[in-house]
Amino acid sequence: MENVKILDGNTFVVSDGSGDIEASSSDPTGLFVFDTRFLSRWILTINGQRLHALSTDDLSYFQTRFFLVPGTGTVYIDSKLSVIRERTLAEGFHEELTIFNHDDHSVELTVRIEAASDFADLFEVKDALQKKGVYTNSVEHEQLLLKYARGTFNRATSISSTSAAEIDDRGLTFLVRLAPATSWSTGLNVSPSTTLSVLRKRGLPPHSHRVEAMEHDLAVWLEHAPRLSCDWEPLTVSYQRSLVDLAALRFSPITAGRKSLPAAGLPWFMTMFGRDSIFTSLQALPFAPDLAATTLSQLALRQGTRCDDFRDEDPGRILHELRYGELTAFEERPHSPYYGCVDATPLFVVLLDEYERWTGNHKLVHDLETEARAAIAWIDGYADLQGNGYIAYKRRNTETGLENQCWKDSWDSISYHDGTLPAFPRATCELQGYAYDAKVRAARLARLIWKDEDYADELEHQAGELKRRFNRDFWIDDRGYFALALDADGRQVDALASNNGHLLWSGIVDKSKAKSVMQHLMGRRLFSGWGIRTLADGEGRYNPIGYHVGTVWPFDNSFIAWGLRRYGFKDEAARVAACILEAASYFDGRLPEAFGGYERSLTRYPVQYPTACSPQAWSTGAPLLLLRTMLGLEPVGDHLVVDPALSVEIGHLELLDIPGRWGRIDAFGRGRVEMAGVR
Amino acid sequence: MSDVTTVSDATTEFFESLRDRGHEPLLGRANGTFRFELANGEKPERWLVAVDKGDITVSRAARKADCTIYADRALFNRIAAGEVNVWTAVLRGALAVEGDPELLVMFQRILPEPRER
Repeated sequence: MENVKILDGNTFVVSDGSGDIEASSSDPTGLFVFDTRFLSRWILTINGQRLHALSTDDLSYFQTRFFLVPGTGTVYIDSKLSVIRERTLAEGFHEELTIFNHDDHSVELTVRIEAASDFADLFEVKDALQKKGVYTNSVEHEQLLLKYARGTFNRATSISSTSAAEIDDRGLTFLVRLAPATSWSTGLNVSPSTTLSVLRKRGLPPHSHRVEAMEHDLAVWLEHAPRLSCDWEPLTVSYQRSLVDLAALRFSPITAGRKSLPAAGLPWFMTMFGRDSIFTSLQALPFAPDLAATTLSQLALRQGTRCDDFRDEDPGRILHELRYGELTAFEERPHSPYYGCVDATPLFVVLLDEYERWTGNHKLVHDLETEARAAIAWIDGYADLQGNGYIAYKRRNTETGLENQCWKDSWDSISYHDGTLPAFPRATCELQGYAYDAKVRAARLARLIWKDEDYADELEHQAGELKRRFNRDFWIDDRGYFALALDADGRQVDALASNNGHLLWSGIVDKSKAKSVMQHLMGRRLFSGWGIRTLADGEGRYNPIGYHVGTVWPFDNSFIAWGLRRYGFKDEAARVAACILEAASYFDGRLPEAFGGYERSLTRYPVQYPTACSPQAWSTGAPLLLLRTMLGLEPVGDHLVVDPALSVEIGHLELLDIPGRWGRIDAFGRGRVEMAGVR
Repeated sequence: MSDVTTVSDATTEFFESLRDRGHEPLLGRANGTFRFELANGEKPERWLVAVDKGDITVSRAARKADCTIYADRALFNRIAAGEVNVWTAVLRGALAVEGDPELLVMFQRILPEPRER
């Protein structure tokens, strides 16, 4: 049965369809909090029998109801009993268990919950590693206590019930006598405790109030977002889905109080990531601008200040990933935080500027001046590994650091046309685009807010210089596109990849080259009919279900569409947007991280890439950015310019109450872009 | 780790160098006070560090602080020497923090660079 997931910030539960958890060492089911599994076994039986799910009902992203009957599914052994298990996240989770006797005589029931925890670090689950600490189970004060200790590192789960139970060190037993046509119920509380709790002064309200508070919070969140009215269902469904999923993916680092930023995705990535949090905040800016403010201030707080090879940290560098689990605590993994990514630093400056353009919030730009300057200095200094004026990467932590420090971070993502892999350092092309954009935008902020004309002039001069060199060094003249990277010898890594689209977004592409780039992006080798592939068909490593070597990534496409618009290719942007949104309708509006790069005419539906990460933040954000792109929303001074280009399927589109420095503004559009030849 | 404590060690040197520094640009946005309670046999050793937009004052006063850090002095010696990362020590439970965690993350900026591992 399909896994059922509920989540709230960095707390989530993954169970089977009946609500049971029976995790193996390598399987991401269980209750996870702060990157640690606090419950790996949670099995309900009645008179020794497991239960079978008739249906599950996702009440909200933090609450699920399971309707169950005894029996394993093929034969209902006793359909005179039915069971409702309602599970709500609240720090740990609360489960309300209710059993109905539909029979005309009394029944005696032994209701049992088996519980255990392996306290696995999420990284251990991912990589199937062994534990080093000591486990103890005990019964204290009518609670089952599951504990794990490794030196001063302590994690514990306490389990209690609201009805009287016999508790032993493996679970809780209830002896229930049910008269005809009556029901029995109990509440079950599962509470994790960690050393980190001392850091959290949240003063949680009681459970029932907490649910109310969460419901209220979601209602407010949806109310604050612009309202969409449109006659094209793929868009309305995925818009609603995206808003709710984005609410669920909000994550509060312990230093952020009640403010939140987008975590990267469930189940593996429920934490702050430099790249993912920035890209998602950019996508969500016209809809939920506060996410960007928290992302910026939290990343700034942890900006690198020193050279630390283990963490791949340099002064000025923006972090890649922050974790709280056991392997991080004992420095068996470098995520405290880990800095091994090279795009987050320029993108930090890009987001800061884009945030100001939308919100007019000068204070944050003032507050983060030091960090923004440090980020720019990092681009020019530490990131220039070859001394040729380009950002490049080569990890210093060779044991547990990341090899590819760009968004395509799998081992084989960067290749020559013939499929061979270049040596390190590697300077991928989109990094140079981001650096260019960061300098242009920082120059604007320097002039407008930091009041430093000299710095602004210098940045603009550097950006112009970078653009000139880039268009010379990365352009493959006889093919008409930009090389994927420069290798360690400064030679072109000549595969055709979607990175070209990010170059359009950054604005680094010479106007004279833009059309040729667009034609490659929309041509048969890159465009599948569902979207633009990560790597072009015909490249040595092309594989339609290879992670970064042929699949279509909705997030990638959303930024490419933005890039196409930037260079005036409105119709092409509308086509990319329409195709990705059509693909979304095959996934109930929830775009996966990636789908297969197969030709649309071949498969007729988008083939999901076989990975478990869903919802994923930047896929969740993709419909939002596509909507912005289709409407051509662009802040200019204190105004919002609207310049729609929509596919013909869309009769009318209204986006009402778009928040920004103008207050609230409405945007309207009608479809006119023909899709002929695209599918 | 030695259980013999000396008067002039990494901890003392660290706080004294902090006092001499006066202003620290990396703490330019920080406002608040830190109290360090360093357990050392009978009586805890106490340091109070106040930061006002990067201006640092160091004393031994016993005052309430925005962020209090409790650690064994032996452990803090290693932190002050750049041998132990303060944040992973928190995650391990080797170091306890009360109050504003944001201040602790900021404070990390002025700890010495890590030594060869």
